Formats: sequence, C-alpha cells, structure tokens
Amino acid sequence: MDDWTENSRMIVDSARAIVPADGNLVRVRDLRGKDAGFDRQMVARAGELGLFLMRVPEEAGGLGLGMRETCELMQVLGAGLVPEPIGSTIMAGALLGAAFPQDAASGDTVMVTAWQDSASSLHFDGVFGAGALTGEKIAVEGAAGADFFAVLTAEGVAIVPRDRAGLTISTAATLDGGQLARLHLKDLQAEMIPCPQAAAVVQDASLAHSAYLLGLSDRAFQITLDYMKVREQFGRLIGSFQALQHRATEMKIQLELLRATVMATAARFDTGAEAAHRARDADRCKLRAAETAMLIAREAVQMHGAMGITDESEIGLYVRKAMTVANLFGAPPAVRARLATTLEAVT
Amino acid sequence: MTADFNAMSDDEFRTMIRDFVETEYPGMPRFSLERLHWDEVKPWYMKLSQRGFLCPTWPVEHGGMNLEPGKHLIMVEELERFGAARVHDIGPVMLGPLLLKHGTEAQKAHFLPRILSGQDIWAQGYSEPGAGSDLAAVRCEAVQEGDEWVINGQKTWTTLGMDANWIFILVRTDKSVKKQAGISFLLVPMDAPGVTTRNIENLAGEAEFCEVFFDDVRVPLDHIVGGVNEGWAVAKALLGHERVFIGAPRLSAAALSRLEHLARHAGIWDTPIFRDRFVLLQCDVLDLGDLFQTYLDKLQDGAAIGADVAMLKIFQSELYQRISELSMQIAGPDSGLAQPPHDDRRLHAAATYLSARPITIFGGSTEILRNVLSKAVLGLPN
Repeated sequence: MDDWTENSRMIVDSARAIVPADGNLVRVRDLRGKDAGFDRQMVARAGELGLFLMRVPEEAGGLGLGMRETCELMQVLGAGLVPEPIGSTIMAGALLGAAFPQDAASGDTVMVTAWQDSASSLHFDGVFGAGALTGEKIAVEGAAGADFFAVLTAEGVAIVPRDRAGLTISTAATLDGGQLARLHLKDLQAEMIPCPQAAAVVQDASLAHSAYLLGLSDRAFQITLDYMKVREQFGRLIGSFQALQHRATEMKIQLELLRATVMATAARFDTGAEAAHRARDADRCKLRAAETAMLIAREAVQMHGAMGITDESEIGLYVRKAMTVANLFGAPPAVRARLATTLEAVT
Repeated sequence: MTADFNAMSDDEFRTMIRDFVETEYPGMPRFSLERLHWDEVKPWYMKLSQRGFLCPTWPVEHGGMNLEPGKHLIMVEELERFGAARVHDIGPVMLGPLLLKHGTEAQKAHFLPRILSGQDIWAQGYSEPGAGSDLAAVRCEAVQEGDEWVINGQKTWTTLGMDANWIFILVRTDKSVKKQAGISFLLVPMDAPGVTTRNIENLAGEAEFCEVFFDDVRVPLDHIVGGVNEGWAVAKALLGHERVFIGAPRLSAAALSRLEHLARHAGIWDTPIFRDRFVLLQCDVLDLGDLFQTYLDKLQDGAAIGADVAMLKIFQSELYQRISELSMQIAGPDSGLAQPPHDDRRLHAAATYLSARPITIFGGSTEILRNVLSKAVLGLPN
C-alpha cells in the first residue's frame, strides 16, 4: 500500500544531487541572469536520475510513477529554487509517452513544454491544419535554453526543434534571473502526435507546479521563522512579539492547508479521480498555492525588515521566484472563472 | 443492541443512522442554529438513549458504541444532514469520557448510567468573570471542612446551565502554589443549598447561558475527580475525537449551502461578482476538508494529536465567519430581521451571523489558540 512513500523517498534522495540538503543557494544565485538562466549540466544530471521518465508509463519505457512521488520531488525542487525547467520536461514526457525522445529523457537535449494559448484562458487549442502550426504559446519556461519544444494543441502534441522554420521565440528576463518566453508559430511544418491524455497531463503539471510552490513557501516560511528567533530589537527577540506571532500562525495555517490539499489531490489523481473532480481539484490547489506563496513572500519581507528588501538576503530569492512563477498555470482570475463552472458541475 | 458497529461497512452504517434519524426524529425543529432547551430536546435525547446512540465514543460495556473516528464522523454527518437538534451533550461528550479516564469505579458506576438515562443533565462550570481565556485564574474556592467541600464563588457563560441538574466545576483548592497547581475538579448538584443561577440573554435574544453562584455550597469529599489540586490536568485531558471534529468543514459547508439559497432568492446567484466570492469560499471549504482528513487519518491510525490541531478550529471558525459576513451583505435590508424572512430559516442571515460569533471565543479563543501555536508548534520565544 505504501509503495509510493518508498518511491518518494528514493526520488527525494536522488534529487539531493541537484538540490543541496543544507539549503545552500550559491549555485542558484550564481546562475541568475546568465545565458538561459539555468545549467544544462544539471538538466543532464536530472536525466541520469530518471526524473524525466517519472510520468512516462512503464509500457512506454518510463518509470510510471504517481503524482504523489512527483509532488514530493517538486516540493524539494521548489524549496531549493531549482531554476532548471524540470517540471516542464516531465510534462513533455507525459504528453509524448512512447514518442518521448531518448536524448530528451536523458537530459542530453533540453525539451520543454509549450501548452498555454493566452494568459486570459487556460486553453491549449493552438491552431493546426494541413500539417502546419500557426499561433502563439505563452509562458514557456526554460525556452531560452531549450533545444526542443513539445507544443500542445487540441489535435495532439508536436516536437518542434528551436531552429525550425516558422518558429520565432521572444524572451523576457524574469525577476528570478531566468527567462520566460512566448513562441510565435507561423505555418510551421510539424507532425502531430495524438495525445488523448492532454487535459489530464495539463492538470497533473498544474498540480506539480503547485507542489513546487508549496516547497518554495515552506522553505521561505522556515527561513523567516528562523530569523524571528535570532533577530533582536528593543532588547527582545522579534519572534516574541505577539503581533508577529499571530501573523506567523496564519502563514502556518495557509501552508498546512496547501500541503494537505496538494497531497490529497495527488493521492486522488493516483487512485483514479473522475474528470470533473480532477479539473476542480487541480485548480483549487493552484489557487491556494499562488496565494500562499505570495502571502508568505510578502510577510517574509516585512518580518525581515530592511534586510528583506536587499538582494543579498536569501529570502529575496524566494520572493523573486514566487513573483515569477506563482501565476504560471493560470492567472487566478482565469482559474476562478473556470472553477465557477467546475464547482457547480461537481457539487 | 451491542452490534459491532465498527465491523459494518461505512455504507451500511450510514444507512442505519439515516434510517434511524428519519424514522425516529420527534416532531421538533430541524436545522436550528440556536440551542434548544431541555423541555424541547428531551424527546430526541431519549430516542438516542433508547437506541444506544447517545454516547458514540463510550465503551460498549458502559453503554456506548465504541465507535472508531471514521464511523463517528459518519454518524455526526448524518445527524447534521437531517438537521437533528444538538442535544444536551456535556454529559455524553465531556463528563462521560472524563470520568472514564479519571473517575473512580464508584463515580463511573453512579454517574454514567444516569447520563445515559437522561436523569442527569450536566453543565460545565469553567469560566468565571475574571477567568475566561485565562482559565487557570479561577477564584471560585473550595475548602475542606470535615468530610465535605465548602464552595464559594461564581461561574459564568455556563451553556444551558438553567437546564442542568448537575455541574462540574474547576475550583481553587490551594492559593499558595502556581495557579495551575492549586485547582481541583468537583461535581456539584445544582439543587444543593446555596446554588443559584441567573440567565444571560445573548445577542440573538436567547437565554443560552447563565451565571451560577455558589454560597457555602457543601458536597461530599468523594465528589472530586482526580486528586486534590489535580483539576487542571483533568480538565485539560484530551477530549478524544472532539478536538478534531470541532474543525470539521461541515458547519461551513452548511452555511455555504444556506448562502447559495439566499443568493438564488436574492437573484444574484448567476452574477460574476457574487460567484467569484462564492468560489473562493467553496475552495476554502474543500481545502479545509483535505486538512481535516489528515487529522481524521491520524485518529484512525491511533496517532497522537498534537497542539497543531488548533489550526483546524481557527480556520474553520474564521471561514464560517467569512461566510456569515457575505450572507449578511446578500441579505441586504433583511440582514437585521429578528425572525426568518418568509418563514424560511435558510434565508435568515442574521441567525448565521450571530451563530458565528461565539465560535472564535469559546473552546479556546482564536487569539489564545494562536498564542499556543506560536509557542508549541512554531517554537517562537516568550
């Protein structure tokens, strides 16, 4: 019954090759603003560990691991602010299944997913006709350093090399020191691989991203709590002030709600939740994850005082990352609008 | 009647409880947000008692059902789904488990059957005018004289105390030691000479509480539970499932369903501005459900429940309050009505709003619980 806990332990242990157990962020800090904003060697390391095959079914040559294992991994990556687009490559593997290329699985090449059509919608329709792709894909993580894109449309998923005619990539620097990209596709010749599981994979990836935000929030809260226990003002530890204590308990409550919701949803996904429940539960995880990450980031800055607004403080790295990734996988207004429909359908 | 309920499937058990409440519930109010008094609720108390359903957590040999947490929750859910009135449960829920844990054999043999039979209705006497959140500051005093305790002082916020014929109280029995160390737990008949009560009307206009005064009230020495000066530990002892159940999402879910009814009645259900706020509350209720389930799983596994369980009560009670606040806005000019509009209780936003007030005060105020979390869970300094 507890297969997944053993698997998770192994995955989390192996992820320590990417994320230092002591929380050291020197690597993360050094990578900011350099090239693509991540380290290809680290992508290869993740590939060696088999992380990109987690969500590829066993019959398609993958590990066939569950969402609970994935969410445990993503928490570790979030806590360590890992800049490599590991979640996006795991998503590509899940979309492509048996068609997931060997060198993408090994991390020798970098493949990321481009699924979202526009910020105001959560659709991945794209435009595909007569063997050609036209349209835009937004919010592509890791695009600046990617070799291939798994482009998702309503008709299936296409593997698109970055130098393919018809593809232009516009990137913008992000606060965390990385890049976020938009793909412009015009009459791009592509083979469309059918992907009946597309909607489910997007929900899985959204949930995994919520788990990343959970890990990030958890660690940012811990750093803040530690600071409250050493920082003195007026001859007292600031953690002894009731006004701050009560705000800390609110962060803790939100954090535990997020943890419970993410892990319960992962368990439901692994044990076969109905489609309507899947959509609803992935969305409410995402809403709470974004909200909690931003709450803790804000409060962390305030409780660090002036130190919280310096670049040299560790907490700043968490704040910048939260601001950069909290609203991926659906801006809250779009998620809430969709929930208004899915909640009514379920309850 | 001594069926092993835990051996039944959840569905079988749920059906049994549902059939029971649907066929046996007396002709009395359902879905009442105010507590009913003993003369109104007694028929239902007796039905539960006769069927052996009054004390779900007690051992079977003492007349209980020995229900495991999962089954207990199903029972609570079914009774609330039907809208069954809450009975006078201080005996079944508080004193019974407390006597089972700390009482003498004689106390158990005497008092437990009288709770089951409805002979004794218990009230809880903890709070005092100067000891609310700071419960250990109790001043109501008991002095040993010969083979009796002589009690002087006052208790307050005694829920449904006017209906009770017994009260358990925390009293000061040693003033020379740290305040928690000088407290004892006594059982007092309400008809003892020197006991008087005065009702307190609440904001809803109901007399749910009373003050209880003790003037030279005498009870035998064996009316103490636990040892002399051990009352604090006795009172703080775990109340089993209740510590977790108090954080269940069902009260908020029910309030949310009333809010939906209210919004449909007001004609704004389909407006985006309302629905967006409703969606956030729905998500909160569902997320609370997931957190609640983690604690239920711990109970089922027999794992210890730590101080962190207070997170459930804080979030649940504040969520219920937020729902009640939106309900008032939707009710508009009807928000101040003393009686349900159109004779429809579900439209009575004021009742929801008022019922949302005490839940962040009683059973550990939100502020005290946050203090506890800060120290015991987050390890923040004094």
